Amino acid sequence: MSTAALKPSAKISAQGETAHRSREGSPWTGMWAVILKEMADHLSSTRIFILNTLILLAAVGTVFAATQQISQTVSQDEFLYLRLLTTARQPLPAFVALLAFFIPLISIALTFDAVNGEFSRRTMSRILAQPIYRDALLMGKFLASLFTLALVCTAIWLLIFGLGILRLGVAPGTEEVGRALLFLLATIFYGGIWLALAMVFSVLFRQTATAALASIAVWLFFTVFWGMISGFLAQTLSPVQIGLPQEILAQASMEQTLSRLSPNTLYAESMVALLQPQVRSLGILLPTQLDGAILGSPLPLAQSILLIWPQMTGLIAGSILLFALAYVLFQRQEIRA
Amino acid sequence: MEHKRLNSLIGLVLLLTLTFALSSPALAQESQPGSATPQPLLLYTQYPSRMIGLGETVTLPLKLRAGVAQVVSLEVQGLPEGWTATFRGGSQIVDAVYVDGVADASVDLRLETPSNAEPGKYELKVIGSSKREQTELIINLTIKEKLPPRLSLTTDGLPTKRGTPNSAVTFTLNLKNEGGEDLIAELSATQPENVQVTIQSGGQDVTELELAPNETKNLTVKATPLVRLEAGNYSFSVQAIAGDVSAQIDLTVEVVGQGRLSVSAPEGRLSAQAYAGQDNPLKIELTNSGTAPLRGIQLTSTTPSGWSITFDQAEIAEIPAGETVEVTAQVKPPEKAVAGDYVITINARPVDSQQESADFRITVRTSTLWGVAGIGLIALAVGAVGAAVVRFGRR
Repeated sequence: MSTAALKPSAKISAQGETAHRSREGSPWTGMWAVILKEMADHLSSTRIFILNTLILLAAVGTVFAATQQISQTVSQDEFLYLRLLTTARQPLPAFVALLAFFIPLISIALTFDAVNGEFSRRTMSRILAQPIYRDALLMGKFLASLFTLALVCTAIWLLIFGLGILRLGVAPGTEEVGRALLFLLATIFYGGIWLALAMVFSVLFRQTATAALASIAVWLFFTVFWGMISGFLAQTLSPVQIGLPQEILAQASMEQTLSRLSPNTLYAESMVALLQPQVRSLGILLPTQLDGAILGSPLPLAQSILLIWPQMTGLIAGSILLFALAYVLFQRQEIRA
Repeated sequence: MEHKRLNSLIGLVLLLTLTFALSSPALAQESQPGSATPQPLLLYTQYPSRMIGLGETVTLPLKLRAGVAQVVSLEVQGLPEGWTATFRGGSQIVDAVYVDGVADASVDLRLETPSNAEPGKYELKVIGSSKREQTELIINLTIKEKLPPRLSLTTDGLPTKRGTPNSAVTFTLNLKNEGGEDLIAELSATQPENVQVTIQSGGQDVTELELAPNETKNLTVKATPLVRLEAGNYSFSVQAIAGDVSAQIDLTVEVVGQGRLSVSAPEGRLSAQAYAGQDNPLKIELTNSGTAPLRGIQLTSTTPSGWSITFDQAEIAEIPAGETVEVTAQVKPPEKAVAGDYVITINARPVDSQQESADFRITVRTSTLWGVAGIGLIALAVGAVGAAVVRFGRR
């Protein structure tokens, strides 16, 4: 940070800040202490232990079932390890389907009481009495949750690959590993959105239960209702009056655009493009665009990344922006109560 | 009575003397060269007595010889009812022949016998008469009820046909049983190198055919190249054998050189990458691996809709045998092409030969512009956090 950026502004004084106006030192001082402490808390907490056990069981169960399914198939597959994640075997769903369900839950569980928990335990003033800035505290809490999530996801990722090597006896290819790593990244940032969202609520609401409920409500809204709402909105905003193909097309693309406002859709699309290399488009395709196309041929990894880059960007930028919102809210809050 | 005997005796003596007196100078004259009496008109044929089948048409080559140049008119006497006789000379029907007195004149007598003629012996007389002389030739024809077995094998067209290095040549043959008995003819053909000769009748490969007397069957002889043939002559013979009799015909396929076009790419790589909405060069190799030059090769392409392919030379004047020509095509996928693999076909068609094509697999890549825009968006989000830190930071 340049000194110019650290100049005090007039608006801060308008908020009734009486203390020393000029900011000194880095806002990140003490952040690592917060991160380490928070991570230690997370990893030893019963709440996370239960969720981790659940997701671990889900991973082992689905992947084990998938390997059974795969080893019965005789046809060659270039992307065997990606099938590990996407193969469903009745009655178990595919691992990715479970993951899309668990990740928001873990994320919300990690941060719904990040700030208001400190208030209810009356520890906030005590922490801030230490030489730790508010910036560092919030950033530390967010990053600690993100790292915990990344740690859990990476552990599961490694577990799956290990299980795959053990059960399939084939070494994974670089392309597969690349795609799986990107999938891991997408998963972490998908979690990041929910982390940041729960953090916003934990800043907003003083009651931890309210924050948790609000987060769950948003998650439910996007999981269950947003699909219906975007369909309904598309019908209203872009109605099919005569039944022309253009109108139907316009409505379909409107519905898709609206559904992409949901992080669930973004994550699902990234998942599809990364784990199914033959997917060449996520939008609406006209038959003319597939004229002469060799269907079923996998896209190069770089092209798949280009395909889901908007989705990935949306997930990453969404996490950051939600965090920024939580940050602004927290910074403006009265915390001495 | 006595006087009469004397008279006859004198007459005899006189005659003898006269004969002697007349003949001795004649004999002396004959032995003397240069002053011979002109040769009399002579009409002959080599085989004046023949055995023919029922309804058969006989052609007898007649020769006329004379010592003095003259026009000889010809006629046939004793022609049985229903028979027709024509004289043919110089592929025309004639009834008089000019004999120049030095060489033999030839004329064909063509006798058409009715199919209901009775078996038996027939005698015909051919009379040649000019103003000076007259001659005759007796021809004996015997019509037998049953003829000795005989086969004939002829071709409708020419026994030599022209073919290309890789196309089959067919000959149409007529196999006729000219004998009077049923025959089972075994068919065989010699096989020239790298050519397979098959004999077909009625669309099926045959090795044996049954023929009634006087029956003709059509055979199709097909010479199929087994490899790409070198230019040259490929001769083979087709033989029909039935017991003791056989017939044979020699056939030849004359293979002429031909250009052979192949469409490929340098190093045989039939795949390429292309960026959507841009001209992407695609190198194409046209090779003539044949034995004759190829001319007027036109290049066309079959593409998915919305694509455009332009060639730096859309028509190539000539590719000599064994040469390769490189052409660059500009492949332009549409702006909104979806990333992935597509097939395009490049066709090359020489003026006088078949079209050759090659399929290219084009991997369409999309622009990385939006990737940059995405990074910009993330940078914007980070900037927002930075701005919030600056604006709301508390220490």
